[in-house]
Amino acid sequence: MPGTKALANSDEDSITMGVEAGLDCISGIDPKTIDGLFFATTTQVYTEKNSAAFIANILDLRDEIITADFTDSLRAGTTAVCRAVEAIKANKDIKRILVIAADTREPEPGTFWEYGLSDGAAALLIAEEDLLPISIDDYYSVSANVTGPWKKPTDKFIKTFQDKMDNKFYFESLTKAMSGLLERNNLKPEDIASAAYHYHDPRVLGIVSKMMKFPQGVAQNGLFLQVGCVGTPMAFLLLMSVLRRPKPEAKIIFAGYGDGADAILLQIKDKDLLKTLKQGRMGLLKHQKSMVPLKNYNTLIENKKLIDRNRYSRRSSAVTLWRDTKSLYQMYGIKCKNCGMIQYPAMFKGCYNCRTDDQFEFVKLSLKGTVFTYTLDHLYGGSYLNTPVPRCIIDLEGGGRIMLDMTEIENPTENVKIDMQVELTFRLMHEGGEFRNYYWKCRPVRGRP
Amino acid sequence: MVRKGIADKIAIIGCDATKFGELWDKNQYDLLYEAVKGARDDAGITKDEIDATWVGIFYFFTGLSGAVVEDILRMDGKPVTRTENYCASGMDAFRNACFALAGNAYDVVLACGVEKLMDEASSGLPGFELFGHPTLPIPSAPAMFSLAATRSFHTWGWTKEDLARVAVKNHENGSHHPKAHFRRPTTIQKVMNDVMIADPLGRSDCCAMSDGAAALILTRVEDAPSYSSHKDDYIVVKANAISCQTNTPWYNPNHTFTSFPATVKAAEMAYKEAGITDPRKQIDCAEVHDCFTITELLNCQDLQFCEMGMAAEELKNGTFNWDGETAVNPSGGLKSFGHPIGATGCRMLTEVTKQLQGRAEGRQTPDAKIGLAHNLGGAFCVCSTSILGQAD
Repeated sequence: MPGTKALANSDEDSITMGVEAGLDCISGIDPKTIDGLFFATTTQVYTEKNSAAFIANILDLRDEIITADFTDSLRAGTTAVCRAVEAIKANKDIKRILVIAADTREPEPGTFWEYGLSDGAAALLIAEEDLLPISIDDYYSVSANVTGPWKKPTDKFIKTFQDKMDNKFYFESLTKAMSGLLERNNLKPEDIASAAYHYHDPRVLGIVSKMMKFPQGVAQNGLFLQVGCVGTPMAFLLLMSVLRRPKPEAKIIFAGYGDGADAILLQIKDKDLLKTLKQGRMGLLKHQKSMVPLKNYNTLIENKKLIDRNRYSRRSSAVTLWRDTKSLYQMYGIKCKNCGMIQYPAMFKGCYNCRTDDQFEFVKLSLKGTVFTYTLDHLYGGSYLNTPVPRCIIDLEGGGRIMLDMTEIENPTENVKIDMQVELTFRLMHEGGEFRNYYWKCRPVRGRP
Repeated sequence: MVRKGIADKIAIIGCDATKFGELWDKNQYDLLYEAVKGARDDAGITKDEIDATWVGIFYFFTGLSGAVVEDILRMDGKPVTRTENYCASGMDAFRNACFALAGNAYDVVLACGVEKLMDEASSGLPGFELFGHPTLPIPSAPAMFSLAATRSFHTWGWTKEDLARVAVKNHENGSHHPKAHFRRPTTIQKVMNDVMIADPLGRSDCCAMSDGAAALILTRVEDAPSYSSHKDDYIVVKANAISCQTNTPWYNPNHTFTSFPATVKAAEMAYKEAGITDPRKQIDCAEVHDCFTITELLNCQDLQFCEMGMAAEELKNGTFNWDGETAVNPSGGLKSFGHPIGATGCRMLTEVTKQLQGRAEGRQTPDAKIGLAHNLGGAFCVCSTSILGQAD
């Protein structure tokens, strides 16, 4: 079956994609009002170091919040949603938890995995509030010690023993969780308007639908041929595609699979509120539209670092990164109290404009701007990888000037121009000293608010 | 600002430079020794007459401290100071040496510079991965100056052909200089069609990596006639100016990228000190920093050799030719010599000295009486401008 699948760029990983999804999700919401961040992935960047805490830092959440990584299973996303509900119910100080799921699972070239496995991220804000667009009414989980797939810490690729056997667990766990949920809530399959449950192959989706006796059109399909199976966030994306055309009071099953299954019962509460929330965000559709076709297979295997090329290596300092967090991660600039000029980064002591010493206050900078000047770097530090790299000086909306590399630009020689509009995106810069240095890059406008 | 400069106080009584190029068979000691020996012989002095030394070296692998000088001269414990100030390292060695003489601390001093780049097997300037903030983007040197080229194209309508004319002029001049790294003329088409390095700058818009060294012997003007070699044609220092600006111009919201504030400021200071009121007419020859073609064009404007936005036109009209109104890089410049960073400033001063003495090794600017040497380094952050003149 011909189709497309979504792949991370060479400067993306589950953390940067998680940041991107998080930024879109909390757009217009004060990050300081969020009380927790749960991050779900099977492709954790660190096996010791909390990605949720890192992402919360970049999204500029408070320090006094709860964070946790949910890992090692494709079900981690829905599990994180269930645990978020419990945390909110159990603790009166916790009202809002951001749940982000992201995966960049790497299939071995030439295997059947390569056909469907793809990369993606999604975020849901779980909250206890008077006005809610969707309610979470119940959830039901089952656990299963599956035969596969698996990936050991030292493995580069996902492995399995017998994929037909794996499917047996998939069918059993999902139907058990969804049936259990229906039964406990005295619901019949025809009471469900939409079912957004994880799948990794269009055939298995249909089999589960038949086993569940869902009427035609309830099981959410179609996405696989457009983006592939994005792993942990798959059920999130399916839910989002259900919400494109929400029906009032509709009941939705939202289910994740992996070593068992979680089935979550949702109901549309406020269609208009949902519509308003969607309008301020990129959501699924705009992200799909922003996918840039890869030129060739070589680009893919270079991006995935399956070809060993001489990459530009710089030194690292975890301490410098920590000290400069406000500038580097949270994109604060400084405003001169004497002349009012906004500037970046917040490390220097004198004003560029009026030369006043050390009279600055922090200001949050915009993640949008225009190109003041640029070059197309064909060497990029001697790495010659994915060159030319546009290196741009950007005037940010509302003040501040910054230099950023541009990423995900097709045909830069033709398309990069002075006065071009760009938006900032959080990416991996380099891995000098075996430390991952993340920072912002710019890209052509996709429409993130 | 310049309260009491050093105009007319210091004299150059000897100078020399090595051949520049890919000098595989020589190390930094060989190069510096050759230049210093040449300068000493030119001045007609012994090494024991040198009281103190300033040496411009940019890279740690060329040499830390002033020990390179000690290891070629065995100076019996005399003072040597290494200066590092990006591309102005060599000219800052010269500047500090002048000040030491003006302060009557010494009678004869050596200002020199050396850089041994080719041992590093780097395709561009090495070490950029070590500089600056570990995470923030750092552009390569060609990328930095390309940012100015792109903006200049936008602001003044300049083209790649305008840039190419700088390379063509300088390589033509360099083809006459026995010590130049490149001694072949080039054409506009060749320059424009060369491989891209940092768009819009191609390989021929960039100066090359080279090895080299240069040295000057200085004394106070009143003592100059007592050193016989150049008692009638010693050269006088009219001004030494250095301006330091931000090394991250890309964060300065006011930066135009069509002018280098460090050059503007250093030129202002130098002209004031030397009493220059009409640089275009009064400066006969200038060695102007042309690390990239765009750099020379913008510097010519910032040095007030022409109106803002007019450098490309003036170049085309021959204003900056070796026999033009203001000769710019009659030696062939960095485009022909390459840029062994610590050596370049002292090489330029040597070129200007010899031009004013009428013994230029390449193109001799007719009737040169006042000359200027100029370096711009880092991310346009440091500019040194020195003005030399014939003795009255």
